[in-house]
Amino acid sequence: MKLRYLVALAAGLAIVGAAAVMMMRPTGPRAASTIVVGLSADIATFEPANISSRDNMNIAHHIFASLFTLGADGTHVPNLARELAISDDGLAYTYTLREGLTCHDGEALTAEDVAYTFTRIANPANKFTGNAPGFVFSSIGFRSAEALDPGRVRITIARKNPIAFGLLTEISIHCKDSYEKMTLDQAATAPVGSGPYRLVSWTRGSEIVLEKTAASAAAYDRIVWRIIPEASTRAAELMAGNVDIIANVAPDQIAAINQSGVATVQSITSTRRMFVGFNQAEQFGQTPGGRAIRDPKVRRALQYAVDVPTICRQLLQIECQRATGLVNPVNAVKALSPYPFEPATAERLLDEAGWPRVAGKMRFALTLQAGRGRYLNDVNVVQAIGQYLRDAGVDVTVELLEWASVFQPLLRTRTAGPLFFMGTGGGLWSPIYDMNDLARVESGTNYTNWSDARWFSRWDALTDAATPEDMRRLVDEMLQVFYDDGPWLHLYFQPDFYGVSSRVDWQARPDERIYAYDARPKG
Amino acid sequence: MGVLVAHRLLQSVVVVLGVTLISFIALHAGGDPTYLFVSERATAEEIALVRQALGFDRPLPVQYLSFVADLARGDFGTSLSYRQPAIDIVLGAFPATIELAVFAFVIAIALAIPLGVVAALNRGTAVDGSITILGLLGQSIPNFWMGIMMILFFGLHLRWFPISGHVPFLLPLLNGDLATAFGNLPRTIYFLVMPGVAVATYSLARNTRLVRSSMLEVLGQDYVRTARAKGLAEHVVVVHHALRNAWLPVVTMIGLEFGFLLGGVVVTETVFSYPGIGRLLFNAINQRDIPLVQAGVILLAANFILLNTVVDLVYARLDPRVTLARRR
Repeated sequence: MKLRYLVALAAGLAIVGAAAVMMMRPTGPRAASTIVVGLSADIATFEPANISSRDNMNIAHHIFASLFTLGADGTHVPNLARELAISDDGLAYTYTLREGLTCHDGEALTAEDVAYTFTRIANPANKFTGNAPGFVFSSIGFRSAEALDPGRVRITIARKNPIAFGLLTEISIHCKDSYEKMTLDQAATAPVGSGPYRLVSWTRGSEIVLEKTAASAAAYDRIVWRIIPEASTRAAELMAGNVDIIANVAPDQIAAINQSGVATVQSITSTRRMFVGFNQAEQFGQTPGGRAIRDPKVRRALQYAVDVPTICRQLLQIECQRATGLVNPVNAVKALSPYPFEPATAERLLDEAGWPRVAGKMRFALTLQAGRGRYLNDVNVVQAIGQYLRDAGVDVTVELLEWASVFQPLLRTRTAGPLFFMGTGGGLWSPIYDMNDLARVESGTNYTNWSDARWFSRWDALTDAATPEDMRRLVDEMLQVFYDDGPWLHLYFQPDFYGVSSRVDWQARPDERIYAYDARPKG
Repeated sequence: MGVLVAHRLLQSVVVVLGVTLISFIALHAGGDPTYLFVSERATAEEIALVRQALGFDRPLPVQYLSFVADLARGDFGTSLSYRQPAIDIVLGAFPATIELAVFAFVIAIALAIPLGVVAALNRGTAVDGSITILGLLGQSIPNFWMGIMMILFFGLHLRWFPISGHVPFLLPLLNGDLATAFGNLPRTIYFLVMPGVAVATYSLARNTRLVRSSMLEVLGQDYVRTARAKGLAEHVVVVHHALRNAWLPVVTMIGLEFGFLLGGVVVTETVFSYPGIGRLLFNAINQRDIPLVQAGVILLAANFILLNTVVDLVYARLDPRVTLARRR
């Protein structure tokens, strides 16, 4: 009897399934006024002051506008503000807002809302931990924000900073009346913004739906951000026509997407700088390898040992030019040429530096550490670098570590390595932004514990430079030092791959920002 | 029965505490989780402030005891990533996983029993061989690969099923929104087909082999021979005499199966972008979101204990020789 029930259940299940297939099969394209973007990770919060990842910021930036914003080429574009005046001493930034701005709650957006935003972020009682209070405010030495009148707001900082203007584009403006009534929990899930889209729904781990505001000039009425962690699933959704833009296309899926006839892959060189760091921390100085890489001659020799263009071509599926330093190419010193791949030169320079091969043995030993799965094809890239260095006589042991729990703490405590592979985000808008990682010997981002006085002693002069020409001269001098004797084995700027439907006109940006409000339907 | 349930409740407290301690130690073994909650350019001072804000500046035993004390008051803590009560987030994801697990469970059981019985009744024939080979394949193929192949063939090539996503049924049902729940139901099932089959494949294969071997053992028993000698119809012999006695190991397995399905669908949920508890926990572990992991682990452990208890009760019902008192 039970068997009969089970058979009936199975048959019933099959019938329901078949009927569902017939009823549910996609019957045509979805509304043309909606654009769907496939992302690999869900966001954590809509609280702008707690956002610390680019993925999260990409979506939040559609809801919250900033005073100025960054164009794809690194230029500063007026947004909520139409003008900026900086005081002579460089400590006061006065923004003049555009007229007729409104918040998503329907209230007028005034200087009071801007001042409230800055003050709220800086309020220690809120215990915010995002990029705005953490990186931006501490970098610029935020002091205060005050509304001078309904259309003007003044931001005061503690010390002159040549990149404060750019950093302030990161601040998402929110609206006082609504946020004063909200708890922090409500603010995390129910944003009241100032940007071109408002939040309709957030199904955690699944999708985020945004709807265009009345004042927005964006082409699409709705943006659906779908969370699709698996790269092959994202690619399949794109090729099936269910998604219009996908991020982080795996290199092995590029050909399939390009041949699908419904989408193509845009590859773009990002601003993320990939390098191998030479960690000169005291703890590594006890070993021959650790002592060796403290010598600039050894570091320079090893630059010749790695064939970066071949790594790009074979492992990243892109032609690249090797980096010459830590700033993006548009701001680099034009006179500097990338180090060529010359194994014989590497060997000769290592011999001259006092580390010859004795009886055909290795010169010294080093450990090369890297996080696993963080960057494009990182495991293979690191293995290749290890082999190139071994070929030059350096006994390299590659250690691939879990990124979040093992490698990142090593980086943050500046104890990774003594060789370590990583990438850090950069920008096109200022060379100083890229150089800022090494603003002080004790900076948390000086992961290599580098301390060359020729670099660090120039920072005060750079900050106080009277003219752009003076600033550029100092930048060039510092970048020459970094090229010759710096703590990085220069690699490449990471390529990013985006899949884009042929229905959509959208251009990928080099700064990892995905702005769907820039997209337009084709035709 | 009441004694058994009370006994199990006591056991469950110990088990849950053990599970939380192990997961707490494991999550802290990799070092300070603070670094995951600050930007890559944060200074040492900022990191210290965030560490204090998150409570990671306290000694580990203090952190754990504080967690247990809060737990005793029903407070599972606040998710470090989402800044929301951890238990709310876990409970929000749980219905989707229950839908997937139930769907896969039904497929696995509804097909495994007839297939296993048919294979046993046709021992040594081509039918038996085919089922056995399919069973081996089902147990050998990794479910993530199976999922990707299904996506490419049934989702992308044939366009029969959606490639990813989920339409909720249980969540609106639990919220009392019956219209939405039952309005969603056909699409819920439609979206469940591919992930459900991918999850069910391993269990289906294993249960088929289990039913087959169990049936073979029972079919050789004297009482089955006696039943046949009495002239009973073959289907009566199989269903009433053999299958009922072959049930016992199967019931033990399938009872635990559901618990495994609930906790073991991480990969499938990721491949199909299915917003269930497996994927939530996977992300939480990567993010070292300790309160969220703890809330999820406690829920899964409690669920497993509950299922174990149910299996014991069913076992006793099926086999009168087994008494609950003796099992204690």
